[in-house]
Amino acid sequence: MNFFKTKTSSPKVEGRVEGVFKVTGTGKYSAEYHLDGMTYAVIVGSTVPAGRIESIQLDQAKQVEGVLDILTHQNRPQIPAFATKEKLDKSGYSLPVLHTDQIYFKGQPIALVVATTLEDAMYAASLVTATYRKTTANVDFDGSHKGVDAEPFGKERGTMAAWASAPHVAEAEYTIRHEVHNPMEMHATIATWHAPGKLKLYDKTQGVNSVQQTVSRLWEMPKENVEVISEFMGGGFGSGLKVWPNVPLAIMASSQLKRPVKLVLTRPQMFTLVGYRPQSWQKVRIGADKSGKFTGIWHQAKHATAIYDNFNEGIVRISRMLYDVKNIKTEFATVPLNLSAPTWMRGPGDCTGAFALESAVDELSYVLKMDPVQLRLQNLALRIDPDTGKPWSTNYMGECVTKGAEMIGWGDRKALPGTVKDGDWQIGYGMAVGMWFAGRQKASAAIRLDKDGVITVETAMTDIGTGTGTAMQNIAHEYLGIPKEKIKVKLGQSTLPPAPSQGGSTGLSSLSGAVTAACEAFKSKMDAYASTAGEQSSPANYSLIMQKNKLTEVLAEASSGPGEEQKKYAFCSGAAHFCKVKVHSKTGKVKVEKMASVVDAGHIVNQQAAANQVSGAAVGGIGMALSEEQLTDNRYGCLVGNDLAGYHFAVNADAPIIDVDFIHKTDVNINPTGSKGVGEVGIIGTAAAIANAIYNATGKRLRDLPITPDKVLLS
Amino acid sequence: MKPFDLLRPSSIAKAISAKQSQVQFLAGGTNLVDLMKKHIATPDALLDVTPILSSQITGSTETLLIGAAVKNSSAAMDKLVLSSYPLIAKAILAGASPQIRNMASTAGNLLQRTRCPYFYDTTLPCNKRNPGEGCGMREGESRMGAIIGHSEHCVAVHPSDLCIALAALDAEVLYTIAGEKKPMVIPFKDFHRLPGDAPEKDNNLPQNALITGVRIPKNPFSKNYAYVKLRDRDSYAFALVSVAAALHLQGDRIVEARLASGGVAHKPWRWYQAENFLKGKIPSAEVFAEAAALAADETNPLVGNAFKKLMLKGAIEVALQNCLTA
Repeated sequence: MNFFKTKTSSPKVEGRVEGVFKVTGTGKYSAEYHLDGMTYAVIVGSTVPAGRIESIQLDQAKQVEGVLDILTHQNRPQIPAFATKEKLDKSGYSLPVLHTDQIYFKGQPIALVVATTLEDAMYAASLVTATYRKTTANVDFDGSHKGVDAEPFGKERGTMAAWASAPHVAEAEYTIRHEVHNPMEMHATIATWHAPGKLKLYDKTQGVNSVQQTVSRLWEMPKENVEVISEFMGGGFGSGLKVWPNVPLAIMASSQLKRPVKLVLTRPQMFTLVGYRPQSWQKVRIGADKSGKFTGIWHQAKHATAIYDNFNEGIVRISRMLYDVKNIKTEFATVPLNLSAPTWMRGPGDCTGAFALESAVDELSYVLKMDPVQLRLQNLALRIDPDTGKPWSTNYMGECVTKGAEMIGWGDRKALPGTVKDGDWQIGYGMAVGMWFAGRQKASAAIRLDKDGVITVETAMTDIGTGTGTAMQNIAHEYLGIPKEKIKVKLGQSTLPPAPSQGGSTGLSSLSGAVTAACEAFKSKMDAYASTAGEQSSPANYSLIMQKNKLTEVLAEASSGPGEEQKKYAFCSGAAHFCKVKVHSKTGKVKVEKMASVVDAGHIVNQQAAANQVSGAAVGGIGMALSEEQLTDNRYGCLVGNDLAGYHFAVNADAPIIDVDFIHKTDVNINPTGSKGVGEVGIIGTAAAIANAIYNATGKRLRDLPITPDKVLLS
Repeated sequence: MKPFDLLRPSSIAKAISAKQSQVQFLAGGTNLVDLMKKHIATPDALLDVTPILSSQITGSTETLLIGAAVKNSSAAMDKLVLSSYPLIAKAILAGASPQIRNMASTAGNLLQRTRCPYFYDTTLPCNKRNPGEGCGMREGESRMGAIIGHSEHCVAVHPSDLCIALAALDAEVLYTIAGEKKPMVIPFKDFHRLPGDAPEKDNNLPQNALITGVRIPKNPFSKNYAYVKLRDRDSYAFALVSVAAALHLQGDRIVEARLASGGVAHKPWRWYQAENFLKGKIPSAEVFAEAAALAADETNPLVGNAFKKLMLKGAIEVALQNCLTA
């Protein structure tokens, strides 16, 4: 596909490189490709949450016109890495889909119907039935975690005894309900064995190379024989970081039928097959001396996981790095349940942990009768990462706090809760901070110059909607001086220079180094050609230089990754979130009136895209704080509800205008552009800021997310 | 989805004669198609009645008549509705999304089925979907459930917003049935049912009858009215509790009051006691609170939704207050 040849009628507005493709519908998402001979597959899920399959009845389904085949654990082609238990354990893939009769959760794929049309496949799938030998299922996190002890997570620093008699202490338990990602675009895979032993996948994923590696491992084939394409993505939020059952299922079906197979999850399947943020319990005890200096933190946490996949998001990590505190103890455990595997969801771990920690710090501020802003400024670990002892390369969280307080009008906050009223509404202010390790991974990029003087910047990384493509264009423009309209971007294909998945706020941090390195390599190549041609090496002369050298194309590829700096420094992105809420005293309704987020993410490559990520994350934070909750029913061992009418993401109507600003101070050590990741810190701490504001408004301390109106009314 | 035939009858008479239990009428399809996708409705054929039903809104000195095929968005923007029956527009705009309102019909809105998650999941028990199977919600996740008029067989709530306004305004449902020449009428308060021991029946519309319109009598509620909807987010969510309120004020007194609620029962619920209480009173926060308490005291919440009683009381107070500032 000739990518990103954007014509824009409004040259003054600098949009995203992929913007026109998205809004005109010409950009192709994974499910939108059509291949000759395409067949359509639909997953049949288990109707019981635990037990073994006794038999599967396919007769009725097979009679549906257009049905080509129905795969089950009894007839599917063998995935080599699932051949023996030893191999399966080594494969790193937790769910041996269609390679077991064991049922771990309700909705687990037990059959795959493939037909010539989607309609036929869907209807036939509804006719597949199974009998099971049922066993008792458990999806009750609240009841189960009490029987699981949290174990040490990270080394204990100092001692508990050292702050046993701290004059000021806050201690409380915090819980967060099961949340789902549910990006707008459904997960989808098209699989085709297009030549003997050669597989091509169009897959909704945050990392084409990761899919390529996983599939080559499962099928025991060279990774060069697996091509993965994910050019556009309609949201991921972490759900696209793993290879979910839809991928091996589509590949198996394509092997069996020797035809391309398209498999798109249904919206209900999005609730059970592509991960979620697990339900969690936390307890935080935090002590301070008379001056408000923290003397100790004890943070315990547990979250749900699957019986077959011990996912662990490390909730307590944030308590180890945020504050300068001598004594710290962190403990953690997972609680296996008959649910599908959870996974990373926006701000994984730290987002959950920050709700508890930052609520507890707020509680302590009222115990101390001290302004929460002052309390943070006094205790943030701004120089040294307390966990590694290494100096932070840069950490401007103090400035984030100060600036955010100004933006929200913190001076209008009354220290005494429940004192500001407007009719039946109570008004309050809250704040919290968030931190995320600023990671960087090895990535590669290429620059390709064609004879018309147009360059294409290429990488395998997928732009999940964060603006990676636009940022690549921005960086190439800055480094090469080539006008932006002559810079194209090509990404999301495994045949392009390899790059890590886009996740964990590492995308641009990793890729910016690769793009600048590719620019350098390209420049020196052009300099050499220029001197051969006897011309000055400048973008204006590129066509001429190529002509004189009889070249039709110039290609430069380079890689870049973390190095020695990692030994010297610790890296973090930071944020301060402030909000003003009003709470209706008679109905329990909470409205977020105003939000301000200030982020320290080093050099900001593209202000619009970065601000967009932060405000989007803040809206996610509003949902987490006030409305997102996936229900479960332990009597039936399953989730209750699987549509977007009943699962309440925050929508525009729930969000105020969100003021976003950045500190704009380059981190010279992290990578050549000095940019730190921005994706996660936008949400880490927002839920606590809102809960803290509700307390300030009402005097009600709500420690169970989401804070729906019923909880406000009943507390 | 089960394959089905799509039929386009050319007249109301032909539509009615083709109607059988496994053949369903299709209007906007915003609920029926979802039910078909989830294998809750499995008709052999659909009769597309949109072209043959009225999509007109007509007013007389006595009544307003909304044709069965009038889209929700058209009704919400209609000049006559906005000037003389504004509570209807207010309620419609509190529901669904613009895209859904553009498709959804007036008659279909009356016939939409509960959004109880146990009803929507065919692997969970539900007496409404599968009589005799048991009620999943009653002892389960009942936060969204009924607080009045429920039975041991069903605690589901009616999901519409429009219907709450129609109930408050004493509307009537017009329908036609095979063998009857004259349009038949059901008062709105008798249209929807309580679950009792037959929760599979949502309403009292005779079998194979076709709704042709909704009639609303002229009323004095175009000035002091309110629709308050409390929900988990501010758009595209079903009500936890909603209140349609309307006051007819003369001098400093309330001549007549109307109060109806969604999210509380298997049908739109009228709070007659509270309405009677308000008659003749001088509006005040205290009077409103007392009326709201009368309504709330009638309720009988489930284990999982005691909050709705408090929320209802608050919502009625807010709605009555808003009637004065509307």
